[in-house]
Amino acid sequence: MPTDVMIYANDLSKRFGAFRAVDKINFEVRKGEVVGFLGPNGAGKSTTMRILTCFIAPSDGTARIHGHDVFEEPLAVRRSLGYLPQRAPLYLEMSVLEYLRFAGDLRQLDASTFKTRARNVVEVCGLAQVLGKEIRHLSHGYRQRVGLAQALIHDPPILILDEPTSDLDPNEKAEFLDYLKQIGEERTVLLSTHNLGEVETACARAIIVSRGRVVADGPLDEIRAKSGKVRYVVSIQESAGDQPYRGTGKLPKKTEVEDALQKVKGVRKVSELPTDDRAHAYELTSDQNVDLRADLFKTVVEKGWVLLELARDTQTLEDVFRNLTIGDERRNRKIKAKGEPDEPEPEEEEEEDEGDDEDEDDEDSEEESER
Amino acid sequence: MSTAEIDDRDEDLDDEETSEEEEAEDEESDRETVPLEAKKKSGGSAAAHAPKAAVSESGGTDLVRNTWTIARRETHAYFDSLVAYVVIGGSTLGLGIYFFLMQSGGFWQVDRASMSRLFEFMPWALAVLVIPLITMRALAEEKRSGTLELLITMPVRDSEVILGKYFAALVMAAILLGTTLLYPIAMFMWPWHLGALDWGPVWTGYLGLLLFSAAGIAVGMLFSSITESQIIAFFLTAGTLLFLHIIGSVVESLQGVVGDVIAFVSFQTRFQPFERGLLDTRAVIYFLSISIICLLVAFRSLESRKWT
Repeated sequence: MPTDVMIYANDLSKRFGAFRAVDKINFEVRKGEVVGFLGPNGAGKSTTMRILTCFIAPSDGTARIHGHDVFEEPLAVRRSLGYLPQRAPLYLEMSVLEYLRFAGDLRQLDASTFKTRARNVVEVCGLAQVLGKEIRHLSHGYRQRVGLAQALIHDPPILILDEPTSDLDPNEKAEFLDYLKQIGEERTVLLSTHNLGEVETACARAIIVSRGRVVADGPLDEIRAKSGKVRYVVSIQESAGDQPYRGTGKLPKKTEVEDALQKVKGVRKVSELPTDDRAHAYELTSDQNVDLRADLFKTVVEKGWVLLELARDTQTLEDVFRNLTIGDERRNRKIKAKGEPDEPEPEEEEEEDEGDDEDEDDEDSEEESER
Repeated sequence: MSTAEIDDRDEDLDDEETSEEEEAEDEESDRETVPLEAKKKSGGSAAAHAPKAAVSESGGTDLVRNTWTIARRETHAYFDSLVAYVVIGGSTLGLGIYFFLMQSGGFWQVDRASMSRLFEFMPWALAVLVIPLITMRALAEEKRSGTLELLITMPVRDSEVILGKYFAALVMAAILLGTTLLYPIAMFMWPWHLGALDWGPVWTGYLGLLLFSAAGIAVGMLFSSITESQIIAFFLTAGTLLFLHIIGSVVESLQGVVGDVIAFVSFQTRFQPFERGLLDTRAVIYFLSISIICLLVAFRSLESRKWT
């Protein structure tokens, strides 16, 4: 194994009863990489992270952090890690400085090192104003920062962050991603999230998991291209209103446009987009290696219609994510019939309700930051 | 806040801590630098990191140091919440009421310079109230709020977590017992002299109470480690300790093996010699064994999170 592999997971599995929370996950993260660990709620992100941080043991497979096996040398693994669990569970009755000192003591930092490091993390995480405050009086955003500060206090080579931005308001998120860029310059970071925008801002590479398996792993561009589809948006004028109509024929009907677009060679799927009564707008998909713009234009001209918009883009990461993980959604809505394989979900119950209260939290922290 | 202020704060904290830490950490100060160096070299290869980490991993002083850090935090937490004040205030008051007022006039009626009433009362108070109150939150609350995950993913052993919490609770019990010592002191030394007190049984009695607490707190830690609910931990601990204590009362009416077995496991029977001023080695060993066994079970139960 090359020495610059900082996080290494080989056939990692975790079963809770008959439920496979993590099912033979394989990946490597090299030195200096900032990797987004993506997946819908309950996909096994947190479980994988808990295995990597030696909080729970894998049912099968091996994992190594900084060359240390999570099973054989848990203390060495934890020493080279900074970990921020979901929702930053801190001791609420401690002040920020007390908490950092506690973390420093458990990390065996001596007084002078602690001082230097504390000053550094306080600066990076923007905690100077709240150092003496009790953590219970801090907003979610600040708690998250304290959580990040304790993860950085010993200057670890590897950082594992479990949904670090889920409780932050948009400003805080942007700020956090800025820190992350700074921090990530000399460290290896594994960052779990379901916010794709963050991954696009902060990470060069993503690992997407769904139902306990890795479904995509690679640079973002590669993942975007993975679905192999291109999207077009075509808008045709439906009504000219007060203006004189510039087309040569009659104003087209919806079905006419749809039929015509469907007939263009290479078009795979046509679906209508919501618009007002001035235009018909459609979304088309095609294979990646063809460009249909010329054909589409020609079709419209032949019919004598007025083309308002024609755009082509490769799929966004979000589309890819949805395509790759769509099964999860359906599974949650369907009540299991008899005889189907067991898929109980005892594991990430906490994660499941998270999606629901996320919005509230955002509001809370916004309110708090306003104050 | 300016960096100068951070310095001030640091020094404030340093001052209060160095005195406590000095004895415990003198020998470790050399060691402390080892993992640090390893971390500074974090950019270096894994191979360079490994041997240094291995050095501190084998060190027993880490155990002392981490246990101490955790115990100190826990003790602070007791005093930051109301628990410490409620427990100490409540049981001192309860003791006073029982000692002087209850059972037809209490202390004054007996007309002897004796503290035996204190040793009648305290085991009950410890069993049903004090010990369950100070142990219920130890692990249960951390599991519920998720802080345990952050604590355990620091470079600490599970055993250090258990021991740190155990000693913090024991310190709380010791502080409480220390407070009740004010009764005999005030009555027989200063400011009042109500008679010539035989101090022998008082000291052995207190030693007995401390051992009783040590065992009881271990039982409490065990129950706190198996549930996420403080309430359940409280009632399981109180129930178990009450049962272990109360079965001593039926010993006299039972003969033969059954009576022997009950006398063997009963906290009350084990505690009686201390009350009379005897230092019973078997009882000392009994209470210590209970502590160790319960702590081992609590340790296993904490570890079981890994597998389930």
